Amino acid sequence: MASRGGTARFADRNFPLLLVAPAILILLLVGVFPLAYLVVASFQGITMTDNDKSFQGLVNYIQLFHDPRLWTSLLHTVLFTAIALPLELLLGLALAQLFLDKMPGRSVFVGLLVLPVVVSPIVAGATWSLLLDNRFGPVNQILGWVFGREMPLLWTINPELVYPAIILAEVWQWTPFMFILLLAALASVDRSQMEAAAIDGAGYWRTFFRIVLPAIWPVMAVAVLIRGLDLFRIFDVVWALTQGGPGMRTETISIFTYIKGFQQFEISYTAAVAFLVILLLSGLVMAALRRVELSR
Amino acid sequence: MRGPARRQVRQGLRLMLATAVTLVFLFPIYWLFMISLKTADEIYAYPPRWFPAQLQFGNYAVLFRDGDALTVWNSLVVAGVSTVLAMLLGTLCAYSIARFRTGGDRLSDWILSQRMIPPIAVVFPIFLLYVWLGLVDSFLGVILLYTAFNLPYVIWMMRGYIQDIPKALEESALVDGCTRWEVIWKVVLPMARAGMLATAIFTFVFAWNDFLFALVLTRTEVTTYTVQVTHYFGGQSNFWSKISAMSVLGTLPIFIAVGFMQRYLVRGISLGAVKG
Amino acid sequence: MADLKIKALHKHYGPVHAVRGIDLEIPAGEFTVLVGQSGCGKSTLLRTIAGLEDADAGDIEIAGERVNDVAPKDRDIAMVFQNYALYPYMTVFDNIAFGLRARRTPKSEIEPKVRRAARMLAIDHLLQRFPRQLSGGQLQRVAIGRAIVRNARLYLFDEPLSNLDAQLRDEMRGEIKRLHQELGKTMIYVTHDQVEAMTMADRIVLLREGRIEQAGSPLDLYERPATGYVAGFLGSPAMNFLPATVDEQSSGPAVRLTPTLSLPLPAARRGALEARRGGALTLGLRPEHILRAAGDDAREGLVRYSALIDLVQPTGSRTYATFRLGERDVVAELQSHDVSRPGEKLDLALDMNRAVLIDPETNRVI
Repeated sequence: MASRGGTARFADRNFPLLLVAPAILILLLVGVFPLAYLVVASFQGITMTDNDKSFQGLVNYIQLFHDPRLWTSLLHTVLFTAIALPLELLLGLALAQLFLDKMPGRSVFVGLLVLPVVVSPIVAGATWSLLLDNRFGPVNQILGWVFGREMPLLWTINPELVYPAIILAEVWQWTPFMFILLLAALASVDRSQMEAAAIDGAGYWRTFFRIVLPAIWPVMAVAVLIRGLDLFRIFDVVWALTQGGPGMRTETISIFTYIKGFQQFEISYTAAVAFLVILLLSGLVMAALRRVELSR
Repeated sequence: MRGPARRQVRQGLRLMLATAVTLVFLFPIYWLFMISLKTADEIYAYPPRWFPAQLQFGNYAVLFRDGDALTVWNSLVVAGVSTVLAMLLGTLCAYSIARFRTGGDRLSDWILSQRMIPPIAVVFPIFLLYVWLGLVDSFLGVILLYTAFNLPYVIWMMRGYIQDIPKALEESALVDGCTRWEVIWKVVLPMARAGMLATAIFTFVFAWNDFLFALVLTRTEVTTYTVQVTHYFGGQSNFWSKISAMSVLGTLPIFIAVGFMQRYLVRGISLGAVKG
Repeated sequence: MADLKIKALHKHYGPVHAVRGIDLEIPAGEFTVLVGQSGCGKSTLLRTIAGLEDADAGDIEIAGERVNDVAPKDRDIAMVFQNYALYPYMTVFDNIAFGLRARRTPKSEIEPKVRRAARMLAIDHLLQRFPRQLSGGQLQRVAIGRAIVRNARLYLFDEPLSNLDAQLRDEMRGEIKRLHQELGKTMIYVTHDQVEAMTMADRIVLLREGRIEQAGSPLDLYERPATGYVAGFLGSPAMNFLPATVDEQSSGPAVRLTPTLSLPLPAARRGALEARRGGALTLGLRPEHILRAAGDDAREGLVRYSALIDLVQPTGSRTYATFRLGERDVVAELQSHDVSRPGEKLDLALDMNRAVLIDPETNRVI
């Protein structure tokens, strides 16, 4: 019994490691190898025509700083995020308020409202390209009714309209995401606190800012973090609607990287870009995670 | 008398507003489904018709006839197999982290950060690796990538669900004569069953809905439905009948799956931050 | 014959030294209660015996065999957990049979064993139900059934009754004690409730800050506490403690509470204080040792005291009366009708024969 016990304990001690090993191995393979490769390749000079694996120093990184197209695409990304994220948050919050109290068929409404979230973003983009078609789409038709004349707007081509078009699709798909998270958060706000505030004579807005908002803050932060990261890597919807066009008008950092890497095959330069993106994002994530309830 | 009457009016207005909002959000989905059932003549009718004169499944028939519908099968295989793999490895890993704090906070944070890495940044070197290994356009390659991509999510979610299981249940089983493995099999998995199912469905949906990885790593053999949809894009002359029918083929299954998972939706999409 | 032997056991949780050198021998067939406040290490000790925690130092022997490195499943123990730890996805029958099946008991033996255990606990009509369909008391019975169905060498109970309401707790207390008498197994029972400890134990092991404060039979600990802590822990309402000094009176040492109030000791108790004249002292008086004075009562050691009652708490069988004695409020446990309302003047007798005298420096009983 004693000897068996000894081995049992040895196995016990390694049991936790045994369990994590396969998963961690795969994660390392797909998480660390690419990173290492990016670093190495970014110091070389590989392009479609020239497989130059010699050390090139910081050439690619210096090029980063002199590439207006890169910085413009980054600006576009920030622009999409800065517009879509607050819109989604506010709309989501408003919807959550609307559905917070009991009403007949509430669960059916909520169930239907979340459907856009699970649609593939590429399908969402395709759907909106149908909706926004200048001639056969219902959006221009509705606008026509409103304004009383034909509105043949070229949503995916007119530089003035491409941003509204993409943001419309994005907001449509992800407002429900904010909505159900905030609905859950609002529903869990302590009722007795609100009642106490009402007895103390606080009005609606005062109660909202002093009690409700602090209570749902952690969930809001998580929702904004998740959506912010998603928006930063926005690709599918833009790809479906404009492919970054017209010109490079809606080119985001993901689309820029894709074009550099998979259409122009500037391998080393793309590696430098990708590495920059990872750096930017992990800095952001680390800063955000510290503030958000998610890790713990 | 005035109080209750006013409340009824308010409730009525809320109900109307709620209906209107829901209709607006559902309209694009309705439009997609409806177009897929229209004849070509009706799709390209001007002004657009909101209700088709006749419903027909010709657009779907074309997809099946040409073999395009096979891409849905491809999606099913890669999403299905990678989900099973990710669930298997991820749940074991999550159990270890939840119960033994394996790797401490650092490992958990690292795993979560893997979830946040932008796909575009990793897909590029992965592609080059796959070219080298000959894995481009192979089921194995895509499945591996989806498995790896979903592992952080599975680990993160399952860690939460496993932490919700009272530890005493496992200890009781240990005392009652179970080995560590038997405890996982006989206690942890049955207890986490609902959470596992919910996590698996989300994992499946992520892989199923992915476009970027599939776009880069597949050519003709393993084309998934999302990539197939974009094959019908063509400047001014989109093949709307095919775009819509293909999209519906890919979307309907998720709607059904998620319908069953309503209860776990909030927790699933908030990475476990909101228990819902 | 010792069934369980623990030598110099230590256990740390990070910076917390939860068990600080415990030596303990538990004879076969005995019902031992580990009792103490939360954080005293009693649960940790139990879990280390079960093998759910590894000991950092020291030995644990079950039936003469060192089990430190033996997995819980091979220690031949059964355990009842605080929150029942029932599997919600299994019927009561399957829950009780779980341990038997895990040990590959032949199918033909499982059914009769489960039924017998269920009958002992009067839950045989619930076997096909699921835990969520049961009440708290029934859940507790199932949890106990799951332990006793196995013929284990050692039975461990980790605060099994703490989730039950008062009435059920009384009932289950008796039930578990009766089970012990019927089965004759070695049982170790952890609780923070001194009433449970007193009523159930063959032997109480009172723990404090990871060490054994005192071990012995319930009445031993109650009547001859080794320290002020033990004296204060056992008994409800708790013992009254009064700061005092050792006073010299003509008859010998006495207990002085205030400059004007001194309580003489009976001859038998004086000897211990001879060496402490003028020193500090803590006087411990149990509420039941403060009596209503009878007119002709002149037994040695009874000190009369005229008390002004300021709080009356009847429990039905007895009445607790609070009054000022020296500089402290003191509770007396009187007959139900001895006192009726606050403000009443009452002649009481303090039974100094039963007083506990404590050295305030070491907190040890003199």
